[in-house]
Amino acid sequence: MWGAWCARCHAQDGTGKIAEPTVTVQPMDFTDCKLTTAEPDADWERAIAKGGPGVGLSPQMPGFEDSLTPDQISGFVAHIRGFCTQRGWPSGNTNFPRPIITEKAFPENEFLILPAVSHDKEVEIVGLYEMRLGKRSMFEVAVPVVSVPGEPRTSGIGDLEVSLKHTIFAAAHSPRIVSLGLDAVIPNGNEEKGLGHGTAFFEPFISAGAMLGNWYLQTQVKVELPVDPEKGERAFIYNGYLGRDTSQAPNTWTLGIELNGENHEVSLTPQVRKGLTGTGALGMSIGAMVPINEREERGVRWVGYLLWEFLEPLRARK
Amino acid sequence: MGRILALGILGTLAGAEIKVPKVPWVPEVPWVLVVLMLVLLLGKTPAAQSVSSITGTITTSAKGAAPVRVTIDQNICGSELPDEAIVVDAQGRLANAVVILTGVKRPAGGDTIVTNEKCRFGPRVQLARPKGNIRTTSKDPILHTTQAQEESGRSIFNVALPMPGLNISKPIGGAGTVRLSCNTHPWMRGWIIVTDDAAAISGADGKFTIDNVPPGTYELRVWHEALKGTPQKITVVAGKPTEINFQLR
Repeated sequence: MWGAWCARCHAQDGTGKIAEPTVTVQPMDFTDCKLTTAEPDADWERAIAKGGPGVGLSPQMPGFEDSLTPDQISGFVAHIRGFCTQRGWPSGNTNFPRPIITEKAFPENEFLILPAVSHDKEVEIVGLYEMRLGKRSMFEVAVPVVSVPGEPRTSGIGDLEVSLKHTIFAAAHSPRIVSLGLDAVIPNGNEEKGLGHGTAFFEPFISAGAMLGNWYLQTQVKVELPVDPEKGERAFIYNGYLGRDTSQAPNTWTLGIELNGENHEVSLTPQVRKGLTGTGALGMSIGAMVPINEREERGVRWVGYLLWEFLEPLRARK
Repeated sequence: MGRILALGILGTLAGAEIKVPKVPWVPEVPWVLVVLMLVLLLGKTPAAQSVSSITGTITTSAKGAAPVRVTIDQNICGSELPDEAIVVDAQGRLANAVVILTGVKRPAGGDTIVTNEKCRFGPRVQLARPKGNIRTTSKDPILHTTQAQEESGRSIFNVALPMPGLNISKPIGGAGTVRLSCNTHPWMRGWIIVTDDAAAISGADGKFTIDNVPPGTYELRVWHEALKGTPQKITVVAGKPTEINFQLR
């Protein structure tokens, strides 16, 4: 059936290259593993069932939900997955929605802006660039801009952070993923003005995620180790996230809550995430980090992000 | 003194037995219904006589295009198909033009059925009422798709018909011109004019008829997928067919 139906536009070999194309958009190259392994089966099934507009793509892709059964549609998704012949790419089924604080395990190609406002009016805006390296690794650089309250208020670039992450395990069915990573904090921020720590940090971490029914469970454990213990405090960080989508559309609302711990400080961060385009290539999240101990000293911290998956199309072509 | 006398008379009446004469049973006549039926009966007869019809012929000096060369699914579609964008006979009489009488409303109809057969949509041009459904079906053992688009290009739906015999219904939306196309056979084209105004499509002889038009002055406009015509004013007189012709360019 691939040859008789799908290959009319997507080509027999899945490349989307046709000698005499009958559609005006160039279909995705299904042999490009970087593109075709990044999203979950549910997105592909939705694209076949509802057509391109179901996932924010071209309406020239028709919907098959009135002519094929869900099992038949799943069979086509399995066939499409087979066009990526390289082994070792983590399944898109383990690419869960990003929590605000917990580092997700799946390696991404994303650009993010993460604003945070503390109760004492300290403002931090982090620009974050994540780039996938090969099949299972990711490089990340974070540039924080910090504004510290005082007389006068001090603002400037905070300590830069570079990271490496590698996925050591990923299972497509009963989706589960585990990654190891290392953050390195560079002490470039002005310590006297309160913009930096004055010492480098090395921060090894482990991130893991799994689906529990329709719920996303994501966890991260990290240790912050200062190079100069006089200037920086060793910290044990643990984060956990539980959330679920409100529909299967890529631009759906996702509701979740995080448990965030740093040494003895514990917070809960209820949050909501929303895809801003039909493809979900742009998304945003907002949450409130509410301390559950030492409440008066710490106060509520408003957190969130705006993300751009830069390999995904922002919007469909006609 | 007068008041005492009146009270005395009332007292006498109260004590007396008043005899009411017995009458045979007479059914109560529902006069309201009788009047309503008379109004309906009397009202219907003159109304039937008051409507008229509009007839005419659509012509053009444009010529039909050359047949489409088919390179896909030739075993089903054939090696060439007529280009139905302009269907005109030797006398210049044009088919598939839609004449729309603005201001005379028609009641909602059923589904509009589109058939994919031998790699063409049939009928090429149809009328539909707003908020109805398009039901698309296929007789060909090959993959067709039916994509419906508004004039702006916005897609209303696009459904796959991978095997013959399927019937898929989708809402058509509000008034306007809906373009049908098939993503696997790019020459396939169909049009659905969605309107609640009275309308008619010209036949192979270029003729059209709009029946049951009340007397009055109206604007009559004409739509064609490739040609244009100028709207015309028309005055319809009771009981007398009105003829009007269009020349499209």
